Amino acid sequence: MAIRELKVCLLGDTGVGKSSIVCRFVQDHFDHNISPTIGASFMTKTVPCGNELHKFLIWDTAGQERFHSLAPMYYRGSAAAVIVYDITKQDSFHTLKKWVKELKEHGPENIVVAIAGNKCDLSDTREVAMKDAKEYAESIGAIVVETSAKNAINIEELFQDISRRIPPLIPHQNGSNGAMKLGRQSLQPTSRCC
Amino acid sequence: MRDERRSFSHVQNTFVSLTPYSDHQMRRYTRLTWLDKGQRTLGSAGAGLSSSTAVGTAWTRTAASCELPTTPRGGRAGRTEAVQRQSFQMTMEVCRPGQSFFKLIDTIATEIGELKQEMVQTEFSVRDEEELIECLSIEKEMAKNILVEKKAFLRDSGYESVAYKPSILDKLLHTHPVWLQLGLSDYKVQNVLQEQPPGTFLVRKSSKLQKKVVSLRVPEEFGFCIQEFVIRESSYTFSLEGSGISFSDIFRLVAFYCISRDVLPFTLKLPHAIVTAKSDAQLEDISQLGIDFWKSSVNIRPKYPPPSSQPLPQGSVKRQSHHLPLINGVHSLRTRTPSELECSQTNGALCFINPLFLKVHSQDSGGSLKRDSTRAQEANGIERAKSPPPRPPPPSINSHRTSLQLSRAVPSEPSMPETLINNRHGNLDSPKNATPIPPPRLKKQATINRWQSNDQSPSLNSSCTSSFDSQPEESPPQKPMQNMNVSQISNSPVQGTLRLQRLSDMSISTSSSDSFEYDRMVPAFYEGDSLEDCEEESDQESMAPPVKSRKKRATSLGFSKIVKTHLRKVSGVFSSLVTPEKKMVKKIAAMARDKCTYFGCLVQDYISFLQENKDCHVSSTDMLHTIRQFMTQVKNYLAQSSELDPPIESLIPEDQIDAVLEKAMHKCILKPLKGYIENMLKNFRTADGSWNQLKENFLLVKKRTPQELGVLTPTPEAVDVEKIRVKLSTMQKMYSPEKKVMLLLRICKLIYTCMENNSGRMYGADDFLPVLTYVIAQCDMLEIDTEIEYMMELLDPSLLHGEGGYYLTSAYGALSLIKNFQEEQAARLLNSETRDTLKQWHKRRTTNRSIPSIDDFQNYLRVALQEVDNGCTGKTLRVKPYTTTDDVCHMCAQRFNVKDPENYGLFLYIEDTWQQLSEDTYPQKIKAELHSRPNLQVFHFVYKRINNDPQGIISYDNDDDNNNDNDADF
Repeated sequence: MAIRELKVCLLGDTGVGKSSIVCRFVQDHFDHNISPTIGASFMTKTVPCGNELHKFLIWDTAGQERFHSLAPMYYRGSAAAVIVYDITKQDSFHTLKKWVKELKEHGPENIVVAIAGNKCDLSDTREVAMKDAKEYAESIGAIVVETSAKNAINIEELFQDISRRIPPLIPHQNGSNGAMKLGRQSLQPTSRCC
Repeated sequence: MRDERRSFSHVQNTFVSLTPYSDHQMRRYTRLTWLDKGQRTLGSAGAGLSSSTAVGTAWTRTAASCELPTTPRGGRAGRTEAVQRQSFQMTMEVCRPGQSFFKLIDTIATEIGELKQEMVQTEFSVRDEEELIECLSIEKEMAKNILVEKKAFLRDSGYESVAYKPSILDKLLHTHPVWLQLGLSDYKVQNVLQEQPPGTFLVRKSSKLQKKVVSLRVPEEFGFCIQEFVIRESSYTFSLEGSGISFSDIFRLVAFYCISRDVLPFTLKLPHAIVTAKSDAQLEDISQLGIDFWKSSVNIRPKYPPPSSQPLPQGSVKRQSHHLPLINGVHSLRTRTPSELECSQTNGALCFINPLFLKVHSQDSGGSLKRDSTRAQEANGIERAKSPPPRPPPPSINSHRTSLQLSRAVPSEPSMPETLINNRHGNLDSPKNATPIPPPRLKKQATINRWQSNDQSPSLNSSCTSSFDSQPEESPPQKPMQNMNVSQISNSPVQGTLRLQRLSDMSISTSSSDSFEYDRMVPAFYEGDSLEDCEEESDQESMAPPVKSRKKRATSLGFSKIVKTHLRKVSGVFSSLVTPEKKMVKKIAAMARDKCTYFGCLVQDYISFLQENKDCHVSSTDMLHTIRQFMTQVKNYLAQSSELDPPIESLIPEDQIDAVLEKAMHKCILKPLKGYIENMLKNFRTADGSWNQLKENFLLVKKRTPQELGVLTPTPEAVDVEKIRVKLSTMQKMYSPEKKVMLLLRICKLIYTCMENNSGRMYGADDFLPVLTYVIAQCDMLEIDTEIEYMMELLDPSLLHGEGGYYLTSAYGALSLIKNFQEEQAARLLNSETRDTLKQWHKRRTTNRSIPSIDDFQNYLRVALQEVDNGCTGKTLRVKPYTTTDDVCHMCAQRFNVKDPENYGLFLYIEDTWQQLSEDTYPQKIKAELHSRPNLQVFHFVYKRINNDPQGIISYDNDDDNNNDNDADF
């Protein structure tokens, strides 16, 4: 099976749990054969998808405003972006919208956008309605899930969804074209294996 | 471990030379058991994979030797088996886990001494009667030669040619343009092979499978005429699918399958013309033909089936058996072929083939001649062959370099006098068939004598050398005495001698064996260069210079000098096995220095061009960019050109080629340019003032507390910062961007460790980036800036998405935060991509202006240079509030390197309109005025041609340095 390296960048306000999501994803079912990365800002995990192996190279970004200007360096060349908000913080959902906008304007073409409403274990103090998030995601054609890094809810699913949206590699194509269309076609085979 | 590994193979080799004939089953059993045992032993000694590989290697050779050609004769088997068993038991005993290998060597050597005596007798007892009679009765030189020759034929394993000189591997290397046809289509291969006899093969890349395959012509009985065998390329090796034997390159693979069929229906056969070629020149002529060879008249096609048509009277009978379809029965006919190893039964065990094996057995198959022990003697012999009077041997036999040069200079070396392995001690000095000149024998004899007398000499090498040097003609031909010699040796005192002698045999032939191919092309640089590399680029922490440590370890063990010297020689084999890519890099680096090659010219010219034309680049980014481009282009050229001979695909697995070429580029381009690049980077920075600016900012940021920089976690202590500084200094000494990045990763790892502070918490970028910024500021090294740019621009683009790329990006980000610290707020204006962010910033700036004072950021002005062909580049200038537009224009002309400043002017671009600023206005005042407007608009100061129509050329992305850099890289 061919291994495809996919750069995924994590965006979102500071404190929404970006790195917790990745840590959960990478460290559950940890494969000891793969040399771990030096820290949690950059992590990798390989998952099978169809007849390919997807190696996610996950780039975490600093969510503080002061680092905002560095973001383009991180999302450049990404196959997918996971934008994380905190369902208990309305502000973080606003920030999310700004990221979506920025990606649309300056991000890579056909980047797969996934929206993760983290901390769904704290739905008592919820500020962002699930419905709002869903509607917004639909309007921009993004994946949307509510996750809990703490309780390991929907973390695997989030990345599986991304995997499915990545167009299978066609020889002499870099996989950056027609993400959506091809992604749907590949649903059939991938669901079997993932 | 290295030492042990070496000594282990040492033992094996020693053992090999004495292993008696054995029956098939026994052989296999011992081999497997040995392998298993050896692996366990080594494993318990902490050997790991590499050593088990070594075992495999050594054992392969051993096993091969077991199968040395002898005539199978009844009555011998029992005896042989006993001997074999004995040796086996002995081995088992000795191989107890944890036991020192050195001790093992000694024990084995001693025991082998005894064994050897037995074997000598065995040999005599089993020897063909007439042969024996002959052997014993003929005492004259000529007669002996004839005998040897005859024996050679009798022991012929059935391979085509008896009398060729270059080894199979040599032939393959020389003639690869003929059989290595990577680009050949499915259809064409059919075309070529159809008319060839079965066994003929081509190596090509199948377009269907996208893999390399061996296309083999098979007999019509198979129902089709070509069968293809896929070549599997794992990370560092080549192997046939279904086989457990791996090779470091295609040549070794093919050479092996020319000798042993393993998973093939039969062995590969080289075309007759190649097999019978007797000199390099002939091979050269053949390889000139390339693919046309197959249809040319040179390719004599003996009628199919060809075996009997071969004009080699003596070997023909056996040869025929070799051509029979190879089914079970045939195996027994072929048992005596030295190389008919059923290695595939190791069931997937990784098993490198010792080059010795091919070397030795290609000769066995060729003339059934065992290579004589010393290269020096070989060289000698060859020279003798050319000009009868014996010449003094080369000054030193233990110089690696010498052997390299020799192999280059004397490619026909395998034709040297050879002894059968089983005969080896008895016939140590049997002269080359047809070359009736005895001197090598004489010398050998002399050497032996010498050894005997020098038994206690601390260095076998020196005694060897001196014996060659000082008394080459010493003892006159004592030809028939050899056998006697050996049989006399049965007294115990001589054992020591025997051991020494064997050690030397082994080590010398080993050191010669690693030289047969590409290495020899870099004789002059070989050692010096590797040392230099070690010193310059090795990182003390992780990669200790192998050479040094090896020596140290050997010394510390107080290991006998004799063995030590030999071990060192053996190491050659391992380096040849372990790092084919290192060899490739060296080869390319050597080629780059050789102006006779197109590639060398290209590289040298480029390097001198750069060094002589310091003004040819407008910025550091521009310079590094062109260098990177050049490296990429040259890499592509090398990957495609035929200048690399043999082609790189045949030596390096495909997925490794790019990495190997990249390494080579660093070595041949970046290494010589490193000093120049560093200087230039500094010059650019000094010239545009950014060096000073960075210095000031470092001071400023250094004063801030971690909290002010947004740090919420523990930070590295002063000690750790010092460690990081040391690493940064080490980084500056390296030329390879990849190695620099490795160090950067170590620095980051250290930072993580400090942050985690045993808490076990994982920190993401939210926490890491502020700490990294803090640490970089604390280190206060201006060179970080140039280092990062060097890495960012020169790192292999394929690595930019990985971990190295990530932390490089982070370091770059942290540094640019520091660079923009004073003008943090002002810079954000230009860096931000959306009006939204700008508006937010404006709100913040007006409410919270305590951090950067208005004066601070007013001292800087961001100006973009717009040019028709180049797009925009941005620069931040120091512009005081009372600096006029005229002054700013002068600064711009200087900074942007504009040759005709009179044609340029400073413009304000706002709301899609252009306004040229008049000379006496104050840009900072204009900026302040714009900032204070209630509705902030995006505006830019642009330095551009006055008459140029500017419509819509400017865009956000292009107007600042950061983005330009990124565009180039990501």
